[in-house]
Amino acid sequence: MLALFLAEVRRSWIQFIRYPSEAIIGVFISTITFYFLFTGASYVAGPSGSLATADGAERLDVLVIGYVLWLLMLFVLSEATNSLEGEAKTGTLEQIFLSPHSAVTVFLLRALAGMAIRLLLIAVNLGLILLITGSNLAFPPLLVLPLVTMLMAAYGFAFVLAGLVLLFKQVRQVLGGLQFGLLLLIGAPVENFSGVAKVMALMAPMTPSAGLLRDLMARSEGLDWGMLAIALANGVVYLALGFFCFSRAERMAKQRGLLSGY
Amino acid sequence: MPILEAQNLHKSYRQGKTTTDAVRGVSLTLNSGEILAFLGPNGAGKTTSIKMIAGLVRPDDGWVKLDGLDPHKKSRALKSIGAVLEGNRNLYWRLTPLENLEYFGVLRGLSRKVARQRGEEWLQRLGLVDKRKVTVQTLSRGMQQKVAIAVALIHRPKLLLLDEPTLGLDVEATQTVKTVVREIAASGCAILLTTHQLDIAEDLSDRVAIIRQGQVIAEQPTRELIRQFSGTSYNIELEETPDPETLLRLEHVGATAKANHIFVRGSEQLYDVLEKLRPLAIQEIKKDTADLTEVFLKLVQDT
Ligand SMILES: Nc1ncnc2c1ncn2[C@@H]1O[C@H](COP(=O)(O)OP(=O)(O)O)[C@@H](O)[C@H]1O
Ligand SMILES: [Mg+2]
Repeated sequence: MLALFLAEVRRSWIQFIRYPSEAIIGVFISTITFYFLFTGASYVAGPSGSLATADGAERLDVLVIGYVLWLLMLFVLSEATNSLEGEAKTGTLEQIFLSPHSAVTVFLLRALAGMAIRLLLIAVNLGLILLITGSNLAFPPLLVLPLVTMLMAAYGFAFVLAGLVLLFKQVRQVLGGLQFGLLLLIGAPVENFSGVAKVMALMAPMTPSAGLLRDLMARSEGLDWGMLAIALANGVVYLALGFFCFSRAERMAKQRGLLSGY
Repeated sequence: MPILEAQNLHKSYRQGKTTTDAVRGVSLTLNSGEILAFLGPNGAGKTTSIKMIAGLVRPDDGWVKLDGLDPHKKSRALKSIGAVLEGNRNLYWRLTPLENLEYFGVLRGLSRKVARQRGEEWLQRLGLVDKRKVTVQTLSRGMQQKVAIAVALIHRPKLLLLDEPTLGLDVEATQTVKTVVREIAASGCAILLTTHQLDIAEDLSDRVAIIRQGQVIAEQPTRELIRQFSGTSYNIELEETPDPETLLRLEHVGATAKANHIFVRGSEQLYDVLEKLRPLAIQEIKKDTADLTEVFLKLVQDT
């Protein structure tokens, strides 16, 4: 298992770095995009144009976090579906189903390997952005916990989408529609909700984790362990749901002869 | 125990309102070291059968045993097969041949060290050592196919499935693939291959199964199939044209002549004819053999 994980890390890394100019341009573009978004946002954030106030600075940081998380989630989903679509075409997908490991195991290890590399890149990205904008986000080590619960829910989604790819080959349209939905899920200020809205938000995928991350990083508040428990339950449920849907899709694909080609 | 046993496989595909009966009762058995060619026109159900054997398509009915284990129930059964499926190159394009071999080796349960070592061996064997730094993307189709076969064999399976292994390859690459296939079979691996290139089936296979509309309509050792469908006539070529008197005698025993070529209809008459020809110098005696192409066409066109 560990050997396979390391092999996945090597494979992903080689594929990423094989054409270094492409890799560097990728990082560059996302940093630039963000920079313009950021300057635009700060213009909107303070009607008086004053970012000096504490309130303005907090709003800005919330935006930064929201954007980075959104990017991360988009990466998780598009990576899962794009690579699956590509592999169905080249035939490597069938080889995965021919391996004695279950497909869920292989794809989960892949996801983890891809994430390890992506987190590294995001760290670079974030570092550059903080350098340019002088925003001061906090990075308490505890933030790893809500990040993990958030990724669990995100991978749950990714597995559902991957299942759809097995059955329908093309899910680009779904992914396009999902981008906006993701923005809502990640941006919903669950920490300010109450009553039914709050309960709904807590059950929505990723939302409680995103709230925790905002508290930790933009507001420098301590970790709310009760909330973390909810976020964890949220992550576990959505991940399990993803596994379940993917396994069902795999069975259907074998039934209909859809594993690649058709 | 046979490496592969497939019994009464059935598969229908439903697409909207139409149902295609792709495979209707295919049974196959394969022992180690044996090469079985699965032959049939497009849409006959070859790929579907192979995928059912590989556990990639679930049969509606019937079962598969790989070395005694059902791949649809026990994923461990998959350890004993390797496959290169139709039209694909089952490789990561951005990786080099060795990186591919190493990755798939680990995916199939080898340690990195062993996978790497075997990968190196394969590069040697396939004459790809000088391509070690090149991505698969930039290799010729023939080289890609060689690497794909090596990837399928990296975990030393007992059964290799090849779906149209020489499709789209040039003459030289086809030749290399043929050589590799023969070597692998010689080392004890059973091989099931599909091909529409009959000459390849004829050259490579020990046994042929001809499939048409989802059913195996003939299955025999390749030589026997050819013999069965060969004519029983002989062609005798003489060094010079025989004199009219001899010709008359030849016609008497049922042979026909055209200049220095004598046609004999059956093997019973052959020795009578030879008797009458004595002492003329014979250039060549040849039995009129059908090749697999003719056999194939006859079987597939009937009814
Ligand atoms: N996944 C699928 N869905 C629907 N029909 C299919 C599917 N796969 C194959 N078929 C149909 O089943 C028949 C057999 O196909 P196939 O096994 O690919 O034949 P071959 O490999 O001998 O050309 C064909 O009529 C083909 O169109
Ligand atoms: Mg086919």
